[in-house]
Amino acid sequence: MKRFRSRRDFLFESCGGISGLGLAYLLNQDGLLGAPAGSACASNTPVQSPLAAKKPHFEPRAKAVISLFMSGGVSHMDTFDPKPALSKYAGQPLEGKGDVIVRQGNPGPLMPSPFTFKKYGQSGMDVSEIFPRLATKVDELALLRSVHGQSNDHVQAHYELGTGMIRMGFPSVGAWVSYGLGSENQNLPAFVVIYDAHGGPFGGPANWSSGFMPAAYQGTVFKSSGVPIIDLKPPDSVTPEQQRARLGLLGKLNEMDARKYPGNTELTARIASYELAYRMQGCAPEAVDVSVESAAVKKLYGLDDPKTALFGKQCLMARRLVERGVRFVQLYHGGLGIQNVDTWDAHENVEDNHRRHANEVDQPITGLLTDLKESGLLDTTLVVWHGEFGRMPISQRGMGRDHNPGAMSMWMAGAKIQGGQMIGSSDEFGYKAEEQPIAVHDLHASMLHLLGMDHTKLTYRFNGRDMRLTDVYGNLIPQIVKT
Amino acid sequence: MARPKLTYNRSVIRTAFCVLTATALAATALPAADRQVSFQKDIQPVFEKSCWNCHSNSVQLSKLSLASRDAALRGGEHGASIVPGNAEKSRLYRLVAGLDKPAMPIGGKITPDEVEAFRLWINQGAVWEGAAAVITQRADPLQDAPIRPEERNYWAFRLPSKPALPVAAANPAANPIDAFIHAALEKKGLRRAPEADRITLLRRAYFDLIGMPPTPAEAAEFLNDQSPDAWEKLVDRLLASPHYGERWGRHWLDVARYADSNGFEHDFDRPNAWRYRDYVIRAFNQDKPYDTFLREQIAGDELPNVTYDSQIATGFLRSYAKVGFREKDNPELRYEYLDDMIATIGRGVLGMTVQCARCHDHKFDPIRQADYYRLQSSLWGAVEVDQPLAPKETAAAYLKKNAEIDSKIADLRADIRALDKPYRDQLLPAKYQKFQQNVQEAIATPEEKRTPGQVLLANQVIRTVGVSDGEIARIISPADKAEKQRLQAAIAQLDKERPAPLPMAMAVTDGDYRFTPDGPGDEPAPGKGKQREALEGSYLHTGEGRYVPPPSYFLIRGDVNSHGPETRPGFVKVVTYGNPPTELPAPTPHTSGRRLALAEWLVSKDNPMTARVAVNRLWSHHFGTGIVASLDNFGKMGETPTNPELLDWLAVEFRERGWSMKQMHRLIMTSETYKMASQVSEAEGLSANTAKDPEDKLLWHYPVQRLDAESIRDSILVASGGINLQMDGPPVFPVLPREILRSMTNGIWKQKDDGPAVWRRSVYIYRKRGLPMPMLDVFDLPNQNISCGARNVTTVPTQALTLMNNEFVLNQAQLFANRLQEAAPRDSGKQIDLAYQIALSRAPQPEEKRLASDFLREHTLGDFANVMLNLNEFLYVR
Repeated sequence: MKRFRSRRDFLFESCGGISGLGLAYLLNQDGLLGAPAGSACASNTPVQSPLAAKKPHFEPRAKAVISLFMSGGVSHMDTFDPKPALSKYAGQPLEGKGDVIVRQGNPGPLMPSPFTFKKYGQSGMDVSEIFPRLATKVDELALLRSVHGQSNDHVQAHYELGTGMIRMGFPSVGAWVSYGLGSENQNLPAFVVIYDAHGGPFGGPANWSSGFMPAAYQGTVFKSSGVPIIDLKPPDSVTPEQQRARLGLLGKLNEMDARKYPGNTELTARIASYELAYRMQGCAPEAVDVSVESAAVKKLYGLDDPKTALFGKQCLMARRLVERGVRFVQLYHGGLGIQNVDTWDAHENVEDNHRRHANEVDQPITGLLTDLKESGLLDTTLVVWHGEFGRMPISQRGMGRDHNPGAMSMWMAGAKIQGGQMIGSSDEFGYKAEEQPIAVHDLHASMLHLLGMDHTKLTYRFNGRDMRLTDVYGNLIPQIVKT
Repeated sequence: MARPKLTYNRSVIRTAFCVLTATALAATALPAADRQVSFQKDIQPVFEKSCWNCHSNSVQLSKLSLASRDAALRGGEHGASIVPGNAEKSRLYRLVAGLDKPAMPIGGKITPDEVEAFRLWINQGAVWEGAAAVITQRADPLQDAPIRPEERNYWAFRLPSKPALPVAAANPAANPIDAFIHAALEKKGLRRAPEADRITLLRRAYFDLIGMPPTPAEAAEFLNDQSPDAWEKLVDRLLASPHYGERWGRHWLDVARYADSNGFEHDFDRPNAWRYRDYVIRAFNQDKPYDTFLREQIAGDELPNVTYDSQIATGFLRSYAKVGFREKDNPELRYEYLDDMIATIGRGVLGMTVQCARCHDHKFDPIRQADYYRLQSSLWGAVEVDQPLAPKETAAAYLKKNAEIDSKIADLRADIRALDKPYRDQLLPAKYQKFQQNVQEAIATPEEKRTPGQVLLANQVIRTVGVSDGEIARIISPADKAEKQRLQAAIAQLDKERPAPLPMAMAVTDGDYRFTPDGPGDEPAPGKGKQREALEGSYLHTGEGRYVPPPSYFLIRGDVNSHGPETRPGFVKVVTYGNPPTELPAPTPHTSGRRLALAEWLVSKDNPMTARVAVNRLWSHHFGTGIVASLDNFGKMGETPTNPELLDWLAVEFRERGWSMKQMHRLIMTSETYKMASQVSEAEGLSANTAKDPEDKLLWHYPVQRLDAESIRDSILVASGGINLQMDGPPVFPVLPREILRSMTNGIWKQKDDGPAVWRRSVYIYRKRGLPMPMLDVFDLPNQNISCGARNVTTVPTQALTLMNNEFVLNQAQLFANRLQEAAPRDSGKQIDLAYQIALSRAPQPEEKRLASDFLREHTLGDFANVMLNLNEFLYVR
């Protein structure tokens, strides 16, 4: 982004964010009326903040993460992990793979995928017919077919993917990343969550909580329409002028007060936080204003089609946020609306459910990857795609599939990860991870590594214990971290 | 047929809270004098010390055993551990040398010499002398290593005794607290800050004790009181205020991880949880001695005098986050809940991370794994029960009547089902038609001729497809219809005969968890659920004879499926002096008296932790930081006390004063230390202190502290005049924006319109685990799922956004403005004066008044009121 150095910009930076001159003073001097936007939003003012940018442990491969969470549980054998054995043994019980553990009712017999698979790209990666567009990107994707989780319950599994722990109350990956790296743009939150228009994911806000770490590191929810952040702007009854006047008086009175407490950094930090808040008011809406994008870009993300427009907008917002220095963008597709049907949770009919949901995300995700690649951002952005568990190779009442944490497929792209890799495997039916089982801690360890952090060294002292995202576990996935 | 169950991977259960210690040892090469290495001399001792606990006969983490050469060559999940002759390619060497992650041994230590010995030994062919060195774990893990004197020789584990008062040169008649603080300051050559002005002291006392600012009238009363004991009277007045309990009860509710909902997926409502919240508030207001307070919460059902309050108090034990759905298919959950109880008692009462010893001996503190299982055994009988709060006879009659009605209704329902059956059978075939052909074929095939796959398909569908009442109603014969209506009317009638609901306590008592009644998701369905052990017994012990708790076991590596020997109740040895009983005669034959014994041990004068931890908490809420900064961890990984003598003196004093919290508040607040100014002024010569003790650890000035989340919201309500000071009762649901509600749709949030009904103090807001109230959350509401002593304090822009823009805040600002307008119509000078009196308990300075007047010439009083609510002076205690 072009840097335009306005006088105000200069003043913000030169006074270090900790105002020797009140905000109102600056605004009055400039005679400015609008909240800052454009160039001012990209400024990286050094301020005393828990989110000040920090150096990673070593040279990072990625600066930002876009996590695409397919809530409800994606069936691996119907998307990225074809299992011919399911056709061969269709209708027979699943045997010889240990206890058959289902979430609901009783186990059914083995069920082939209702979808056909084809090999794509130079890598010859198998992709199901429901992702025809994403299939053209396989040489950008590193596919992991042997990821396994610890719970077949939606909420616990969400927490595991989100925080490494199946219990509530631990910091999420985004919180750890914000804690470890801070933000490159103080005018925006470091960790942004955009959930499905139908509602939040299973488990709600605990998915993006900062757990025992300060609330500063928790995810900030961005709405996908209207004013993006709760309380970002006053109600319409308050004019911008009124607000600026309030901030002006507040700044002056607080400055007088702070002089009584020389050296008290907390009081000055709070004064500065009002300036940050004020800048965020201008910068956050600008950051996610997709209306300024060209028709071609909108089409690329599927904004022209009502089926894909919702998730397309989430993806486009994510690209704009990452472009502006946001560290971690967590998107959810699938949310608990009024009915519990708006997710990938295909108990009744995997064909209908997955065809519909894949159709909603296929173009947007493909567009996101294309756009990131073309703009060069893909090299420094890690994109991960997964659900909270895989699904069962056996049928549920003929056409559905139950939950299966034993194996799931996910992929990673960007961050100079070698694309086209197919890593690990599940057993012949897709019931359990077989070759190179990958635990969620391994995934998290590798994500931190790509961001330049050693997962064993990123610790937060909580009541006398050095807590880690990966607890006492986590092995790097060699194929992902190799350069 | 395979059993359906929800799986928790064992490793999670074992180590979710483990201490993390990566010992990354650089493979620094020592001078390689290639000596001959002996297995028995050089290697076996290291295996014994560092490897075999996890990789031997009884436990094989990652499926690796190092019990024999063959086993080591075979390796585990990650492949062979030894390649004889090639250390660099041997996983064992690479991990102990830190060349690969995770560095081994996890949490242990291995010296560079030992690493080198491994390298040489492998390179020399990994000769395993004495072919099969058979290794066993300790035969009886409960025969744990005795506590060594040096382990007990640690400040927190020694019994506190009252140290002699230091003779403070300045003022021999000082409050003992001042004597200790002054002595510490003098030693470091630190000057004390002078006494704060009276307005500052007034506000400090109000926020500290009741969490709200004084009204202008209350402020005037104190400021006009010229008597020498005006301050003491103020402290007493505030201690006597019912709002004291709301403020200090809230601190304890953090420790008790109190919430009004279960958490997890369903986040079910806990309709009676608030009674525990009210109990805590009441206990503080009554100045209930802390030992009684603990006894009631841990063994309120086992006391000689069981009261409603003591029964409600046991809710403390079950305030954990709870899945609450399909619990019977997940028996591991019980261990999680017990772990939560142990962790909460450990951190909250003992200041010890006992839960770290669930899978292995504690890595840093002398807490044995056996200690953990002794404590677990002490709590093992505990089961959840909803206890009617009514006289015994009334409660019994109530339960009996309900049981009778339940039984009659069950009979009537069975009659209805029988009546429905022919219609259901008639309707079902059509229902099956919506399924795929193969399902229909499976159902159509006679049972004995179904293939194994067809059996599965048919069972899945037959067992889950139902017919609704409505569908039956469409085809039912008139006669049957009349009969069904008669039966339904009879059920409705019986429901009407139910006795009026009694107030219920969410309590704990002893019982047998193996007979837990079905909860949500546990309803027996055909072929569903686990086969349970056939047992004789009942959930609660009601009959003759003495209650005997079900057996509990030592769990090897914390694995719920790896039973060690049966455990007996007991305590954490390193802090157990003498030989306290582990079971006490309980007043009724229905409980074991184990929890009573646990409670008595906790509050015994021979327990070195409880009083220290309690006074430290109390201190921290007055001074922002504890004498031990890590309130919940007095172990080696915690902080050391900044003034150990003072801590011990306070601990003993607290006990000697009958565990009275209020007396301790009075003692602290009447000290000079408490009354010091927070300003660090050049004039007082205090600047030099900043270099010597920049963090004010020794307390040379009073620390400036931001109000906590509840106090901020409550203070706004006080300023606006909108606050509804009604105490007690079911929680309230403030209005939340739709976007917030949509992020978590499970559980309840019964909000009504914004207004005085929800303008209650924040302690009465519904605590929903799945959805922390955003306005409080942004100001560092603690995680509601883990016992929390010290909250975080952060400064982030979203706090500013909340106070500037949040609709609730703006509404209150407008009310505040209306109040000013009514009191001084059209007189902006008076309005400014009053605004300062209300928000800051003082008159504006001339410069402030000038700025405010200028502002009001162009802007509204509402704008001005909002500014007042955002002032640092409004948000910080000084």
